[in-house]
Amino acid sequence: MSSSSTPGPGLRYPSNKKTIYDRNLNRTKNAELSRAAFAYLFIEMISYAQRGAKDVGDLEQRLNNQGYPLGVRLLDLLLTRSANPLSSIRPTRILPLLQFIAQQLYRHLFGRPADALERSGSDAAQYMIFDNEPMVNTYISLPRELSSLNCAAFVAGIIEGVCDGAGFPTEGVSAHSVGEQEAEAAGAEGKKGAAMWPGKTVFLIKFKKEVLEREEILARGTSG
Amino acid sequence: MVLYSFYIFDRHTECIYSRRWTPARPTSSSSKARPQSEGSIASNGDNSTQQARKHTDDEKLIFGLVFSLRNMVQKLGGEDDTFLSYRTTEYKLHYYETPTRMKFVMLTDTKQNNLRPYLHQIWANLYVEYVVKNPLAPVEHPGGIGVANEMFERGLETFFVAVLPA
Amino acid sequence: MVVFALFIISKSGGLIYNREFHTGLNKLSSNDLLMVAGSFHGMHEITKQLCPNPPPPTIPSNTAPTPFAARATGLEVLETSQFRMQCFQTLTGVKFLLFTEPQQPNIDTILKKIYELYADFVMKNPFYTVEMPVRCEKFDRGLDGFVKVRG
Repeated sequence: MSSSSTPGPGLRYPSNKKTIYDRNLNRTKNAELSRAAFAYLFIEMISYAQRGAKDVGDLEQRLNNQGYPLGVRLLDLLLTRSANPLSSIRPTRILPLLQFIAQQLYRHLFGRPADALERSGSDAAQYMIFDNEPMVNTYISLPRELSSLNCAAFVAGIIEGVCDGAGFPTEGVSAHSVGEQEAEAAGAEGKKGAAMWPGKTVFLIKFKKEVLEREEILARGTSG
Repeated sequence: MVLYSFYIFDRHTECIYSRRWTPARPTSSSSKARPQSEGSIASNGDNSTQQARKHTDDEKLIFGLVFSLRNMVQKLGGEDDTFLSYRTTEYKLHYYETPTRMKFVMLTDTKQNNLRPYLHQIWANLYVEYVVKNPLAPVEHPGGIGVANEMFERGLETFFVAVLPA
Repeated sequence: MVVFALFIISKSGGLIYNREFHTGLNKLSSNDLLMVAGSFHGMHEITKQLCPNPPPPTIPSNTAPTPFAARATGLEVLETSQFRMQCFQTLTGVKFLLFTEPQQPNIDTILKKIYELYADFVMKNPFYTVEMPVRCEKFDRGLDGFVKVRG
């Protein structure tokens, strides 16, 4: 980044190095967008995706595609904006990347961090991000014929975009509702906390093979 | 309290007595300029026939309305439920039905509590006394014959002035 | 306090939602319910016309006439010996009917809250079609929570 404010081609930087890209759209730090405005926009996005969708899987894929470009851009934007120059480096390891998603990205989008981050026990390439109550699903009640749909597929698309943009290609990120299964399990154990989070959603991130190979090499490099 | 109108319907759905105290509205130039809505009583001079027709229309509307409201209430609340009154922002309608299926209806301003006891009194103390017990009045009152006799009218007048809450 | 039931009637007079919270009203078949809703829709219209003393058109000459001012409202509260029914009509013509005990206080706030839940979980639901029966799980759950907490 050039520190001088010499006029020339390309971006002009003000003397205090604060460009328009460094500023939030909202002047105040905690300003929020209208949730209702988003809800109405999301209604239209879903009905747009529903047009011509063959089945639930297709519909989720379409929502995913709508979120993907958002993720790629948000990665850049959030890294550019971060106040600490050390943390504005693109994450190169899996864990920092997932931390970045669960913290910065989530805070930026929803005003709070994600609820949990886990690595799958069965598949080393799979990671899970838990969201107890996805904001995008706040007002959505699914009709019976679409009960397996989870509209958080849009958020999954954003996550996929971030991963891809950071150089972590994935086999795909998908959103699954786990609230009901968990309620059933809890019900069997004695109803403790049953249906506490009926909308609980897990984002399954499955990285490609080469990502894991690279991760292994990098791990060896730091330890050795 | 403001009393708008009072009706008695007999068991043949006919209105056998009605009175109204609708205040005359001032005719301002602005209200003349715009088209009069259905619900307002025209204040020009020479439409008394129109007004009369409007009144009988009102009677029919009110009868139909309380009849269907009563049926709806019985459907929802059971056979022994009785419809008492309803209120809009402009007026309140009070309802009392006698054991002989005569219906007493009164329209007042919205601040009144339920006036059913008063309607009952009108029936018991005035209608029964001066109409039913009047040897000159017929048993049925098609077209309101025999209801609006002098005793009943006078009794009603004093009742409205003296008994109803001010 | 007891809230018996809630009906929602669409602007064309169809019953789009009904929910019983507490026994007390007669059990009606869905056909009868539809009929009650339809006839109430008509009666509501008549109660508007019966206004004995329509408010004079008080439109100041310097402001544009609004479609909402001085509009006669129809039936708002219906009292019977067993229950009390409050009707709240939104500006878009949807009617909420709440059946409660005769002595129930604060019905206005209850209805306002229900309207809020409706605006949130029904109108903001991508899978709800306007004028169609309301089948929204979150709306049901919201009503349950709200009415039970108060009850």
